[in-house]
This record gives sequence, structure tokens and C-alpha cells, in this order.
Amino acid sequence: MALTSTLTMDNGVAKITLAGELDASVAGKFKETIEQAAGQNPKRLVLFMESLDFMASAGLRVLVFAKQKMRSDVPIYIIGCQPPVLSSLEMSGFQKSVYLQDSYTDE
Amino acid sequence: MADQSVLPATVNVLGDVRQFIKDAASQAGLDRKSTYNLQLALDEIVTNVILYGYEASGLTGNVVLKSDITEKSLVITLEDTGIAYDPRTREMPDEDDLAKDLEDRPIGGLGIYLAINGVDEFNYERAGNRNINTFTVYRPAGGGRRGEV
Repeated sequence: MALTSTLTMDNGVAKITLAGELDASVAGKFKETIEQAAGQNPKRLVLFMESLDFMASAGLRVLVFAKQKMRSDVPIYIIGCQPPVLSSLEMSGFQKSVYLQDSYTDE
Repeated sequence: MADQSVLPATVNVLGDVRQFIKDAASQAGLDRKSTYNLQLALDEIVTNVILYGYEASGLTGNVVLKSDITEKSLVITLEDTGIAYDPRTREMPDEDDLAKDLEDRPIGGLGIYLAINGVDEFNYERAGNRNINTFTVYRPAGGGRRGEV
């Protein structure tokens, strides 16, 4: 299944919804969306991953890129990962640098 | 029981690779987690074969996937004729690396780390001009192959 990567801005919060499968063939698309989000100078980045069925290390590299691209005071939230995707993130130690949550509400 | 797929070495075939693995894992009665980990392992290594074994080396060719189900395990073999490359020689992140902030650590080696740690056995050999990567996942007790009478 192809990847869709959709950005919306909501009161200064960049929200990206990913769906499908994220591998090396489509990681560039996700990276472009991160760059668009960074261009909006958000105060927070929220990635909704409930509909992401697969994520290879190419996807992890884009997350590292996101962390480096955003200002250092911009927190990154990753929401609703399916268990195998969450497992990859945790095995890679991402929980130390991003907020992994089941759900998200604007404060 | 064995099956085979020959695919051109381009990143467009990664979905086909994952589907081949999904089908083999289903035949072998693997659970969702084992299936995903095996898909991830093949995706990672096939990606490296395509990008570094062939493209970066100016070569073209195929990747050949074979699945073999025995009483105790599912064995996936990946063969290619790209440059010689043993994934086990790649430096993988250690505990200290994984504990660092994302900005402070090397990101290389994560794919191979996830691949090798997601299967029960991994082996590499070079035979003539071929790289042969072998991934083994143990089947659940009792086999559980679907579709068998």
C-alpha cells in the first residue's frame, strides 16, 4: 500500500497524518512533509500513526531528520502507533527524544 | 514446501517483498509480530542490496527470494549478484548509542540492527558472485500451517 502524508496547521501545531506503509521508496515523501511543517515554524509537531501499517528504518531516519530540522524547543509527539511500529521505535530508543502516546488532545 | 520470487532490484519492489514474506509467514503459521519482524528484516536487507549492492555500485540485477517451510521453521533465502556485502560487518548501535538523544547519535546501522534482532537466526555467505542472506524464524509449537487438511 502506498504512503499518504498529510499536513495540517492548527493554532501553531503542525499535525501530520501518515497512512499506509513507509519504506525507502516513499520516505522522501514523508521528509518533504516534515520540511513543509518546519517551514511553518510550529510550536509543536504531532505525528498521527494509527493508520501506518509498516515502518522501515528509512522512516526512523526521517524522524531523526524531523528532530534535527525543528527548533530544539519544539516537542515531537507520535500518536497511536500500531504495536509493531511502536516496538521498532522503542527498540531504537526513540522514547527518549519524542513523546509516544496512544492519543492526543490540544491543550 | 518451497516457493520463489525473482524481482528486479529497484525500491519499487519492496511492497512485493513484504507480500511474499506475508504469504510465506501465513503458510508457516507465524503470528502477526513474527510476520512483521520478518517483513522488516527482509525490507531492510533488500533495501541495502538495491541501494548499495547494485545502484551505488553502478550495477543492475535481480533479487531472488526463496521460502522453505520445515517442521520447525520458516527459512527465507535472499540472493543477489550485487557487490559482496556481509550485513553482519556493519557497525550496529550499542546500548549507549540507543540511550542518546536523536540529535547526538549515529543513525547508521539501525536497519540492520532491527533486521537481525527480529529473526531467530541470520546467516550470510558469499558463493561465487552471489550474496546469500538466510533468515530463519521458528514456527510455533504444533506447526499450524494454514490450509492443510
